[in-house]
This record gives sequence, structure tokens and C-alpha cells, in this order.
Amino acid sequence: MGRIVGIDLGTTNSLVAYVDAQTGQPRCIPGPYGSTLCPSVVSLDPDGSVIVGEAARRRLLTQPERTIYSVKRLMGRGPADVQSELQLFPFRIDPASKNVIRVMLGDKMFTPPEISAFILRELRNWAESDLGETVDRAVITVPAYFNDAQRQATKDAGRIAGLEVLRLVNEPTAAALAYGLHEKQRGHVAVYDLGGGTFDISILKLISTSEGDIYQVLATNGDTHLGGDDIDNLLQAFVHQRVLQNGNFDFSSNPESTQELRRSLISVKHELSERDSAILRFPLPNGEIFTHEFSRADFEALIRPIVDRTMGPVKQALADAHLAPGAIEEVVLVGGTTRTPLIRRTVQEFFGRRPHTELNPDEVVALGAAVQANILERGVSNMLLLDVTPLSLGIETYGGAVSKIIPRNSTIPASAQEQYTTGVDNQTGIDIQVLQGERELAKDCRSLARFTLKVPPAPAGLPRIEVGFLIDANGILQVAAKDMRTGEQHSIEVQPSYGINDTEIERMLEESIEYAEQDFAERQLIEARTESEAILSATTKALANPQSAEIPASERSNIEAAIAALKQSTAGTDYKLIRKRIDELNHATEHLAELLMNSAVSTALAGRKLAEV
Amino acid sequence: MNAPKSATVSPTTCWSCNAPTNAAAFCPQCGKIQSLPANADYFTYFGLPRKLWMGMDALEQKFLQLSWKLHPDNFVNTDEREGEMSLQRSSRLNDAYRVLRDPVARIEYLLELEGMRKEGEHKQQAPPELLEEVFELNESLDELREAKSAGANLDALTIKLRVAEKNFGEKLHEVDAEMKTAAQQWDAALDANANESDREAILQRLNELLNRRSYIRNLVAGVEKELQGASC
Repeated sequence: MGRIVGIDLGTTNSLVAYVDAQTGQPRCIPGPYGSTLCPSVVSLDPDGSVIVGEAARRRLLTQPERTIYSVKRLMGRGPADVQSELQLFPFRIDPASKNVIRVMLGDKMFTPPEISAFILRELRNWAESDLGETVDRAVITVPAYFNDAQRQATKDAGRIAGLEVLRLVNEPTAAALAYGLHEKQRGHVAVYDLGGGTFDISILKLISTSEGDIYQVLATNGDTHLGGDDIDNLLQAFVHQRVLQNGNFDFSSNPESTQELRRSLISVKHELSERDSAILRFPLPNGEIFTHEFSRADFEALIRPIVDRTMGPVKQALADAHLAPGAIEEVVLVGGTTRTPLIRRTVQEFFGRRPHTELNPDEVVALGAAVQANILERGVSNMLLLDVTPLSLGIETYGGAVSKIIPRNSTIPASAQEQYTTGVDNQTGIDIQVLQGERELAKDCRSLARFTLKVPPAPAGLPRIEVGFLIDANGILQVAAKDMRTGEQHSIEVQPSYGINDTEIERMLEESIEYAEQDFAERQLIEARTESEAILSATTKALANPQSAEIPASERSNIEAAIAALKQSTAGTDYKLIRKRIDELNHATEHLAELLMNSAVSTALAGRKLAEV
Repeated sequence: MNAPKSATVSPTTCWSCNAPTNAAAFCPQCGKIQSLPANADYFTYFGLPRKLWMGMDALEQKFLQLSWKLHPDNFVNTDEREGEMSLQRSSRLNDAYRVLRDPVARIEYLLELEGMRKEGEHKQQAPPELLEEVFELNESLDELREAKSAGANLDALTIKLRVAEKNFGEKLHEVDAEMKTAAQQWDAALDANANESDREAILQRLNELLNRRSYIRNLVAGVEKELQGASC
């Protein structure tokens, strides 16, 4: 059997990590671009091949209708659930979608798990090429507040990618595992995890026993549709409105420039984490340049509602854990969005202590997933994770009410047994609806499954059937029924309300292998060579520009040396070396690029590479 | 239907090596995990008598100790059958710990186990001695709702309801104290090997107190909900 890796399948970025056998420490695996972050972006090339990660992210600007990002927002959801997302995200959903959403990339349709599977397959390739070993099993992280359908969809994505998913681990819990290794903490810990699209808060108790350390989750809460994406949407809506008001341009008619604007605004957002103000200078398609200076105060006023929305779940989780904010000994921040100073301040003020940020907030979840993968690989270990189910499980009773059978924050695995009988003579079926949520009425909760229990004909009240509901260690529901009179087990085919069945998964697995036919290394080499051609031609053009005379001779010779080195590397087949040489040339031409840019757009384009200008 | 009065554990044999297991979680011979006996109750999981007082620290220690051994993480590399047994045992362990560590849930469970209470059964009618106060409270709640929809001043009603809320909160404490006494009586009766009718009388009393408690709790929760709406 091959290696087990830990995967953080994120809204914005995904990562893969493993525990190094020599050092015993978890490590994130870098991809072909040298970064450990794989943008969670998938693009379908007109030739039918699938492009994932950084290369796909670049295509958001050039081929937005063939490219998709933030697909995690659609996982485990039905078409009716996502109407509000469609206002803000350029998802093109097949209007014929009934239970399962189908997203259109170009003229082809994919379910969200299939798109996530492309990302998982890419990460698997990263891991296999780094480790030089087969990778066939994985621990995948999910937001703690993900419901049953969202978890099932993530597990399906793993299967479609040809990975056996050994465990789904909650993201904040994974982060706590990584920090535990790093810090050797004890006592009560709060993990505040604000990522690209999801928010989680988990309260844990770290316990030392003679057998080892136990990470016991006491309570968790969150919002699976709250994250950095929402900040970007606010900024975008702000600019769209300003531009429309000035009568300059209507963005709604132009997806390409919408994506370009989004990218510039994300830079502005990042800059505002470091500086007190940032200037957006955005070239509109009509030739005008839109300029706006964002002060940090303005920015914070704009995003305050988002930060406030996280505090409700924080308070609820503490109340469920029966703890006051002061009883929390350590606070850990996870997720790229927690780099925002307003969030750090708000969390610090609430808990009255400085949060931990030592580990890279982008990597910490993947590192924790690798730790859990290692625990499972070894079978018995000196660490144990006891997690909880985020939402109450209930069944529908008379009058559309919900009877809760497993309360939220129950340690998983958890189970409940319910006895059923018939109301009329010779009744042959009992309808059962399983729900998840905190509301009192079935219509306000999420329906997980609806099924009919078959009963042999008998006088009313005579049949006695016990239905066992079990939430496994992944937070996924299993149902079994037993005839109490005969002791006979009934198997129950539970069709998830928003799910894909086994046959469909098999078909998707086969199709995904077809898409992945092209060898990973071969594809990387083609992409690296294409990119090197682009940058070589841009550099040659730049050096021919009279203005380039202003750069010092030493710099010019550095650039020429880098050109020669890049050209030499493209003759070989080592795509990693080509990438390295591209980076070196980009670095050598930074000054030249700045010099050649029109001063009016210099800020908007700061940090860009020559080939992008 | 009455649950068995005492958990009789039948001698069993290991599914893997056929050695006698005496209903232990792991076979003493080959060490393989065993499936859970059908008649085991939450008290026996923890090796406890059916008493209502229990030390929370000892309960937690035992829970963690059993979790180390039974958690599905330990069975990822074993065959499917052992994985299933681990899932079954560890889920029941978690269920048992969830119920036993909560004093009220623990009493409710004991009553179910002893056949005094059906699962999910709640008496919804008001206890007779509270009737008058409940009537008054419901009237005030109606007035508050009317005043709210009419946009009238709510201050006087809010104060009245706060007083009632406090009053019922105190009653809740009284019920809790009475429940504690009855629970101690139950434990003493078990220790003294008291006869069945004495024990049933205590259980009856516990059941009444439990119904009363849940009735008052619902009242208080209802008042809280209305008052929250009023202060916005």
C-alpha cells in the first residue's frame, strides 16, 4: 500500500502534507511553482485537458467561462441553496440541475465533487512526484461546521480522485493538532479559523494522560458561508457602484475585467494588512483609470459586519462548552483571512489574550492533517483526537416537528436508537425523515435523508423495529434497522437528499482518469516551456526599449546571464529547474519592469512580472 | 414495555478464537475487540452500579481510558469486522458518557432503564400547585404580545414578567434540591437492598420531579424568549 497524506481542500488554496519519517515533523509539499499553495482553481482547456492550480488561476483572467474558483461553496448543496451565491460568484450552473448541481466549464458539465477531485488529483501528483512513492490514501480536512451532505460530497471527491479517504478531520481540530506538536499546550484552547469561504470556531480541551495526549473538542460552531471571499465581494461591490455612479463603466457586462478587478482588490486587501492605506489604480476597459485610496479605517468600517458575524458563533461555542472567555488559556488563529489586523484585535480583545500566530495560517491545517494521517498509518499512537458533531441530528415527528436524537457537540462516533411500530393494520411502510439543524420545525432544518422502512404486514402496533442512527468518526450518518421480534437486520438504502450515488461515483472515477491521462510531469514541462517563451520574448522586447538604457550595466549583465540560464534549462526536461530559472529572471528584471511601466498605472501593477505587463 | 431489571451478562465466546470472553471488550486470549452485548446498559459500560451519585473526575478518567482503546482510529488497518465493532463500542461509550455526566439526563436514563418512563415522554399539563401562577404568567405573556404588536410601552409588563421569571427560576432551584434528595434516597435504598415497592416509590417521586422540572424550564425559556424580543 502507498503513503497516506494529509490534504487541506480549501476554498481559495489547497495543500498536501506528510510527516517526515526521519524528523517526525509534518511538512507541506511544494508544487511545480515552488509554492506549497495550490490555488483551488480548475480550468478546462478547449483541447479537453484539465488545468489545476496556479496555471488555472491565471486563466481566470483570460478564459473565465472555462475556469472555476471557490467551488467548495457548492459542495453538498442543492440548486435551490446556492441562489444567493450566484449573485456574487460567476458560477455557471446547468439550469437543468435537479438534486445535484452541475457546473458548466466551457461546454462540459461537472458536479462540485468532480471539480474538487481534479484538485485532489493534482495534489496527489505533487505528493507522488515529491515523495517518489504511490499515494493512494488520504486524510482530508473539512470545515468543522460542514453538515452531513457537505462531508459526504468531500468524501465522494476523494473517491473520484482515486483516493481512499481514511478520515475527514475538522479544520480547526487539525490546526490544534499541529499547534500541539509545536507548542506542547495544555488546558482550554480556542481555535478561530476564518478562511476563504468558511468560518469555524472550536473549543478544545488538551489533556495529558499516561497513554499520551488527548485533544478533546468540547464545542464547535461556525458559518460555512463566511470568509475572505465575502470581504472581496464587499470591496468589489463598492468599486462597481462607484464606477457605475461616475458613469464610467458597467462591470456586470464584462466578466474578464471583473476578474481582473477582483485580483487587484485582493492585492489592496493584502496591502491593508501591512499598511495604513492602499491605492487602487484600475485601468477600465474603456481606457479610463479608476483611482481610489482606501484607508485602513474605511476598510475596517466596510468589513466590520463580517467580523461581527463571526462573534455570534464564538459566543455560542463558549456557552455550549460551559466556559467564559477568560477560561480559555490559548487562542489560535487559522486561515489567511486572520492576517487582517481588525480580526486579530477583535479576537484579542474578546479573549483578553494575545492569539498564537506562530505557524503559517495557510499551512497549519494541512500540517495537522498530516499528523492525523500519520496517527492512522501507525494504527496505535500517543495522540488521540475526540471530535464532535457540529449540528443536532433529529427525526421528523407528527406535525412537522423535530425530535432531536443526537444533540450538537456530541463526541463522535455517536449513536441513537429509535423504536418504530405501525399505526394501522397491515401497514407495510413507515416513512422516516432524518434532519440536521437546531431549529424546531422540520422545514427549517436540512433534510439528510428520507426513506421508507419496510414492515411485514401485521396488526397495528405489533411490529417492533429499532432504527439505529450512527454518526461515524467522519461526521457522516449511517442508518441500520433491526426487527426486534425476529432479530433480523434490515439494510436501509439511504439516498442522500443532495448526493451522488455509488454508480455515478464509479462513472466519474473512470472519466476523471481519462482527463488525467496526460502525464503530470509532461504537462508541467509543456506549461513551463510556454511560460518561459513568454517571459523571454517580453524581456527581449523590454531590453530593446530605449528607456532600458537607464538601468546600470551590472543589472543588464545580470539579466543577460539569467536569460542564458533559462534558455539552457528549457533544452532539458526538468520542469522544476525551468521554473526556478523563470523566477530568477523575473527577479532580475524587477527594476526594469518598474521602469518601463506607465507611471499612472505603476501602483496598480506593482508586483507584476514583465510577462504580465 | 419494561427494560430488564438488572443487566445480566451472559458468558460469550470470542468471534475470532472461540475463547470465553465474559463480555469483556477485548478477548483475554487473542486480544481482538468483541461486539457489544445487546443488553449492556450505560452504567455497566463504566463498571458502575445504578447509583445516581458519581464522581465526575473518575467518570472522565474512565471515559478517556476506554476511548484510547476503543476509538476507530486504532482500527483503520484491521479488518472491516473489527472496525465495525470499534465503531459500535466507541459510539455507545460516547453516548453513555454524554448521558451519565449530566445529572438530569442520568436520572431520566435510570427511569427509562427501570421502566418508569418511556423515551421522549413529557407530561405537558401544569403541576396542580403551580396552576394559579402559570395562569397569571400566561396572561402577562399574552398582554406583552398584544402590547408589542400595538407598539405600546412595554416597561411595566417587562418588569412584571422579570419578577415572574425570577420566581420560577427559584422554583427550579427548589426542584433541583428536591431531586438531589430523592437521588440520595435512591442510592441509600440500593445500598440497603430495600424492597421493590420502596424503590418504586422513590423512582415515582423522581419521575414527578423530572416532569415538574421540564415544565418549569419550558416556562422560563418561553418568558426569556418573549423578553428578548421586548428589549430589542
